Amino acid sequence: MNVGTAHSEVNPNTRVMNSRGIWLSYVLGIGLLHIILLSIPFVSVPVVWTLTNLIHNMCMYIFLHTVKGTPFETPDQGKARLLTHWEQMDYGVQFTASRKFLTITPIILYFLTSFYTKYDRVHFVINTISLLTVLIPKLPQFHGVRLFGINKY
Amino acid sequence: MIRTEELHSCNGTLKSRSGQKQTENYTLKNGYHKNEKVQKNGNGFHQPRVRGEDSFEEAPMYVAVLTYMGYGIVILFGYFRDFLRAVGLEKCHQAQEREEQKDFVPLYQDFENFYKRNLYMRVRDNWNRPICSLPGPVFDLMERVSDDYNWTFRLTGRTIENVINMGSYNYLGFAENNVDFLKTVAEKTRQYGVGVCSTRQELGNFSIHEELEQLVADFLGVESAMAFGMGFATNSMNIPALVGKGCLILSDELNHTSLILGARLSGATIRVFKHNNMQSLEKLLKEAICSGQPRTHRSWKKILIMVEGIYSMEGSLVRLPEIIALKKKYKAYLYLDEAHSIGAVGPTGRGVTEHFGVDPKEIDVLMGTFTKSFGATGGYIAGKKELVDYLRCHSHSAVYATAMSPPVVEQIIRAIKCIMGVDGTTEGQRRVRQLAENTRYFRSRLKEMGFIIYGNKDSPVIPLLLYQPGKVGAFSRAMLKRKIGVVVVGFPATTITEARARFCVSAAHTRDMLNKVLQSLDELGDYIRVKFSRHRRPYRPELYNATNFGLDS
Repeated sequence: MNVGTAHSEVNPNTRVMNSRGIWLSYVLGIGLLHIILLSIPFVSVPVVWTLTNLIHNMCMYIFLHTVKGTPFETPDQGKARLLTHWEQMDYGVQFTASRKFLTITPIILYFLTSFYTKYDRVHFVINTISLLTVLIPKLPQFHGVRLFGINKY
Repeated sequence: MIRTEELHSCNGTLKSRSGQKQTENYTLKNGYHKNEKVQKNGNGFHQPRVRGEDSFEEAPMYVAVLTYMGYGIVILFGYFRDFLRAVGLEKCHQAQEREEQKDFVPLYQDFENFYKRNLYMRVRDNWNRPICSLPGPVFDLMERVSDDYNWTFRLTGRTIENVINMGSYNYLGFAENNVDFLKTVAEKTRQYGVGVCSTRQELGNFSIHEELEQLVADFLGVESAMAFGMGFATNSMNIPALVGKGCLILSDELNHTSLILGARLSGATIRVFKHNNMQSLEKLLKEAICSGQPRTHRSWKKILIMVEGIYSMEGSLVRLPEIIALKKKYKAYLYLDEAHSIGAVGPTGRGVTEHFGVDPKEIDVLMGTFTKSFGATGGYIAGKKELVDYLRCHSHSAVYATAMSPPVVEQIIRAIKCIMGVDGTTEGQRRVRQLAENTRYFRSRLKEMGFIIYGNKDSPVIPLLLYQPGKVGAFSRAMLKRKIGVVVVGFPATTITEARARFCVSAAHTRDMLNKVLQSLDELGDYIRVKFSRHRRPYRPELYNATNFGLDS
């Protein structure tokens, strides 16, 4: 275990989203979640889609925009300790391929959900709010921004 | 005037990369040349040598998906167990702050230890195994068990004997305690003692040190050499003496920690080029020379290219002739770290310079260690006399570190004399040839079985890819049950998808030992399903076991 030693890749967290096969795994993960929710007997299809959208966006918000730092020690004395995973990706370079992919996926999921809920008003409001919670932190203007001091340290 | 079509240099032909169609018989694919030939030197010093290709086969996509699934499950369980520990349902084995200090700024970073707590602890019994014998081709391990899932270990008192050693860097088998071979070491210990009690610059410069350095210089074919007490410290203490602020270091992506540490300590600007990728290196060189230092745009004082002979995690060989051509074209310096390759490659064991047919005087700084092929400790730096004389005055190691201990020096001297044949036997050459034979045999058998192996076909370091975190632990434990000791590595030392087991073949391994290891690997590979290679070749036992290839047999 070489945690804490000098390595040319200072923070491996920055490269995780670019690794081979992770986009496919992510899409398959969403599919798996959807199938599990579909197998619950008494919920209707629109509710299942809204639930998929909500749970996906909630997990994305928690893992990409709430959890800070790295799960292992890095040799750069904790430069990334206050950064969320989204801010660490590619060392903060904006508009890379992984960032675009992770921005587009919730949008596509939102389109599918709107279609399958037949544009019902209540579902629309819930899904849109959920999409906004996931899209707004991804804007480059929000890099390192902590509203009201929440999640600062 | 540099012609842009083609530049002939002594050791390779450098073609321009301006998008012209390559009409030669080799194609460029991801920077790998297939079967390019090295041209002869002007004085006919070495034979032209065909460099085998490094192979970095990728596993099928489902393997990557399953690997991420494995990590995902472990992470979810990690959060769950952390929750149980926080709530109090599970005993917390880690250090915790005292009750009175719970409101202070936390002393122990909880999240940074997440990986160690929840993944590393589960498989921790595969590392730091206590060895109680010589690390030769077979060794003895002390048996240890854990009662609380690897948080603490206790030794049972029993020894696991005759475990085949596939992890020690014992390439030429000099880690031995044969009394005949070690006679000179005993004599010199009687003469000089064990401790030196001084630095090289003060009162620690013994005649045996001078003898060693002269011998190393003769062995490598250069003017002069200097030896240091610790291999890691050779890099980290001497690179700051060679380059400083205002210099540029171009280092390979997968360089060892010691090189990176030395580069960082020196204060020079570091730029990283992709592993063994000559286009990336050339692009960096061009940019560096054109734009100079950042912000001031003054020219760089020195440009130093740092590469290794054999990369120990990948088993790949450096593309030496091409790098030398590039360095001559752009007037940069080359620092070659032959830690794993000295003694292990090349027809007479002189390292990658001999393997590629390159004159060692073309490389500016030749560095190597005595820990791997020579069975001792320490490192050396060799090159022109002016360079080494400069290092004798300015190296941190020469001024502050204690000199090498005499029995260790004598062990290196006897190992080098054995390899060179100066001691009057052919034992050294036998070992070098045995190592090459073992390497080729082991690699080709593993490829035939269908494992994914990285690296060049001539390198004795053989990483076998396991990919999934669960298999890493399972593999190592199952191999130990079959009395074979292997080294496994996982994330974050490697990339997240490429956890591996690393085999180091030794000249001391007999064919029977290798066959036993291969048979165990075969069974185990089928059982835990790591045979992902899509290039399987059929196993032809008659080619390995036949003694007579005549037509009438």
